[in-house]
Amino acid sequence: MTILLKYFRVWWLMTSHSIQMFFVSRLGALLFLSGKIMRFIFFFGFLLLLFTKTKTFAGYNLNQVLLFYFTFNLIDSATQMLFREVYRFRYYIVSGNFDMLLVKPVNPLFRSLFGWTDILDLITLGPFILMIIFVLTKIPAISFGHLFVYFALIINSMLLATSFHIMVLSLAVMTTEIDHAIMIYRDVVGMGKLPIDIYKEPLRSLITFVIPVGLMMTFPVKALLGVLNFRLVLYTFIFTLTLLFLSINFWNYSLKKYTSASS
Amino acid sequence: MKKYLFVTKNSLAEYFTYRLNFVLWRVRVVISVLITFFLWQTIYSGRREIFNYNQSQMMTYVILLSFISAVVMSTQTFRVAEEINSGSLSNFLIRPLSYFRFNLSRDLADKIINIIFATIEVPLIILIFRPPFFWQTNPLNLILFFFSLVLSTLLFFEISMLLSLIGFWSREVWAPRFIFFILIAFLAGTYFPLDIVPAPLYSFLKLLPFTYLVFFPLRIYLGGVSVSFMATGLAVSSSWIFVLYFIMRKVWRNGLKIYTAEGK
Repeated sequence: MTILLKYFRVWWLMTSHSIQMFFVSRLGALLFLSGKIMRFIFFFGFLLLLFTKTKTFAGYNLNQVLLFYFTFNLIDSATQMLFREVYRFRYYIVSGNFDMLLVKPVNPLFRSLFGWTDILDLITLGPFILMIIFVLTKIPAISFGHLFVYFALIINSMLLATSFHIMVLSLAVMTTEIDHAIMIYRDVVGMGKLPIDIYKEPLRSLITFVIPVGLMMTFPVKALLGVLNFRLVLYTFIFTLTLLFLSINFWNYSLKKYTSASS
Repeated sequence: MKKYLFVTKNSLAEYFTYRLNFVLWRVRVVISVLITFFLWQTIYSGRREIFNYNQSQMMTYVILLSFISAVVMSTQTFRVAEEINSGSLSNFLIRPLSYFRFNLSRDLADKIINIIFATIEVPLIILIFRPPFFWQTNPLNLILFFFSLVLSTLLFFEISMLLSLIGFWSREVWAPRFIFFILIAFLAGTYFPLDIVPAPLYSFLKLLPFTYLVFFPLRIYLGGVSVSFMATGLAVSSSWIFVLYFIMRKVWRNGLKIYTAEGK
């Protein structure tokens, strides 16, 4: 408990630094925020436009598709908010400054993952939650049990995202490559903006069971709509725990390969 | 002229130094094309035509996006902002070369290598996914398609340079570029053809330069458009190139007046 409290304090300190930095470059931050909002609105508009010509999309109606889209944005923004530091990690490796993180009395993985909280993504979380609540009121027959599984799977998605970010960090320690690796992760995850049912086999299975975009983005909403069987819910949790275990091991392995070459 | 060829050659050599970076970049391009491809494939399931596009036209549009973005949007001009902010622009100013031609030569290397990859990727996507693909055979459409690509490339170069020249006045150079790429994603037609939006909005979009970066060349390739559409489009995009050229020169001159080589 004491350790958890200590790490929460460290996270809070790093987050307050990030917020202060937000106020230093206000114009840039505002432009980035506007960009994120524009991106959301444009795609939202595109979906609305699409539904002027069709009643269903991959078997889902407009409200259900919007629920997939809003849930994707919620998970994606929460991930971006927490793990923004990963995008800056390459600098620490190529400059040798990672040494400074290793000698501090804080777990280097924790520091590398949570060192920078993106306040811009935090700002967008509230509206996404409100939009999800709004669209939920438009979808009939949602039970309390389904809602519970939905929340559990969203937390599970955050754990999956954590595992991916740990793997990207490990890759960076070993190869110094991170910029494109993290962007590929984002592009692939972006496939979950819409239900993965739109993709044809074998791609659908690939992005469900190998690259778990489906588990991350589609399964929570499917569970909420009551179209996901219990065995797949169980599989999702087991897959996540396995991936988390493997990613932490990969991180530990990569640390052994770190040469501190540029320091 | 020879010195600019050396710039291109050196830039190509840089690419071969960071091979993994480049390959991963192309992976990203292919993924984004595939996402759009599958999206539209689902929309067309059980339908022959939607938004006045048949499936073959739409799939061709989506697949050719990879090629168009390789030709038009591959650029190194974002480095201009870094060079201004770090003060390394001074190294170029004292050399006996035009900084704009230097950047065009650097971009040429980028385009050459991206086009090579795109010409491998496009047939591969067609072979693997076997979409209904529309092969344009009308010589006029093909000539105008390639001509409009040249115009789009120049237009993109000017817009991208202008974004980088912000570096003379501000260190916030990435945020405007981020917004620009979001605008391009939707207003240039990389998600969907622009003529599917309501008519008044489409009429407005036709006045903006973004329309002529991706949508316009692709629309000419797909055919079925009037001569007046093509003539008007070429005139509007040429006008934008003309106007932006003068704005770019003016901004460059004004920027140089306040440039302090900060950081050097």
